[in-house]
Amino acid sequence: MIFINIKVIEEYGPIILSGLNKTAILTVGGFGMGFAFGSILAFTQCFGGRISSRVATAIEESLRSIPLLVLMLLIFFGLPEVGLSLTPVQSAILAIGLRSMAYQSQILRSAILAIPRGQIEAALSLGMTKAQLFTTVIAPQALRIAIPGLVNQFTIDLKDTSIAYAIGVSELFTEAVHVAQVALDYLTPLVFVGAIYFVITFAASSIMSRVYKRIAIPGLGASQ
Amino acid sequence: MSGEILRVDNLWKSYSETPVLRGVSFEVLRGEVKVIMGPSGSGKSTLLRCINLLVRPDKGRISLEGKEVFPKPYDSIHRIRQKIGFVFQSYNLFLHMTVLDNVRVGLIKVKKLSKEEATKRAMEALRIVGIGPELWNKYPAQLSGGQQQRVAIARAIAMEPTIMLMDEPTSALDPELVGEVLNVIRDLAKQKMTMLIVTHELDFALEVADEIMVLDGGKIVERGKPSEILNNPKHPRTRRFIERLRRRVEHGHR
Ligand SMILES: Nc1ncnc2c1ncn2[C@@H]1O[C@H](COP(=O)(O)OP(=O)(O)OP(=O)(O)O)[C@@H](O)[C@H]1O
Ligand SMILES: [Mg+2]
Repeated sequence: MIFINIKVIEEYGPIILSGLNKTAILTVGGFGMGFAFGSILAFTQCFGGRISSRVATAIEESLRSIPLLVLMLLIFFGLPEVGLSLTPVQSAILAIGLRSMAYQSQILRSAILAIPRGQIEAALSLGMTKAQLFTTVIAPQALRIAIPGLVNQFTIDLKDTSIAYAIGVSELFTEAVHVAQVALDYLTPLVFVGAIYFVITFAASSIMSRVYKRIAIPGLGASQ
Repeated sequence: MSGEILRVDNLWKSYSETPVLRGVSFEVLRGEVKVIMGPSGSGKSTLLRCINLLVRPDKGRISLEGKEVFPKPYDSIHRIRQKIGFVFQSYNLFLHMTVLDNVRVGLIKVKKLSKEEATKRAMEALRIVGIGPELWNKYPAQLSGGQQQRVAIARAIAMEPTIMLMDEPTSALDPELVGEVLNVIRDLAKQKMTMLIVTHELDFALEVADEIMVLDGGKIVERGKPSEILNNPKHPRTRRFIERLRRRVEHGHR
């Protein structure tokens, strides 16, 4: 390809790749936090009292309506004002995590609601407590139904780590921009990171779809 | 062994001001099979759901083996429910579990039996309903409706309930599958399982029921021996209702 300068990749490739480390930390941290709190939100929305489920919905909707960049800057520059200063990496994880939480709670909630109500009644009729109902009937089915949505959210979180550029986290994209400024070539580093994001996203999707097939059960959302 | 298993006294239930049950009273003795019939919307499902507390009644009294279940439960609700088997119209098997797991999950999680003991009991229950080992590792979606309903019955009887409640257990089935499920229930009746069944299968009711109760507008409008109710109903509405059921059977619908 004529626009890509192989020499730039040879010389600066390792520097760009050194950003993978932070990208991985932000992705896993943000997605993990999103899953933990997203599950709690979804559970509250489905099984909580009227007030707590309203509060959960309000949290979810407000977080979904703020652009991630704004959220990240608010956390990084705003929290110190109230006496809580976070490092750039911590701020980025928190922002990505909150955003991911809002989306994951929505994914998990619709998965929980997709379980036929009759099964819940059947579990209660056997004498299960609410906790037993949740762990043996709801969670295993909801997770299977939610997997495609969760994988999709994981890849979105991965790509959104590039926004941490704005607060100076040295992740993949930031490194690429730095290289671009030094090498006076924007296209090559950007195509290079673009390809890296693509490869990771593609790998994650295909690994998950294999997992998905392995745990598929006839008649449940995860089949076919 | 005789004695009273279930007693329902003056039970009332409304959904947002609309009364659905209006003072229902009856009892079921040990080993008895009682059948409830009645037009759609008469409150049959609501009545069964009140008995195992899936729905909270507004007023009245329910007791199980002489111990109060409503309004003041003698034990926690989930422990009381263990004693009441429930079979639903739409089977409601757990879709992510095999046949065997569906039947033993209650024994393991709720009754805290060891896995071996639970498996043994589950296999026994599956044999009773005629589900052979070749189906034990299949998932519900791989079974016919009749097989699913028999697994659901096995799941309930494996818990060794003191009474079984069945809400139209055959009305979601294709006509050719109704017989296999009714046969299982017939066998349970022969084993003197105490049962309260909502069904509109007239011949079946005539054969197994000790008493038929007709529910209409949230009240028991007529009750008695199956032969009396089915052949010589007193209440004009009951007469029309039974005639309608007869016609449906003649036309092959269920
Ligand atoms: N959860 C609910 N909320 C509001 N109304 C309800 C609810 N459940 C039942 N009802 C109403 O109560 C009435 C009795 O319902 P129920 O299901 O007990 O009747 P049924 O005799 O079982 O009827 P069917 O033969 O159609 O099953 C119906 O009018 C129904 O619409
Ligand atoms: Mg009903």
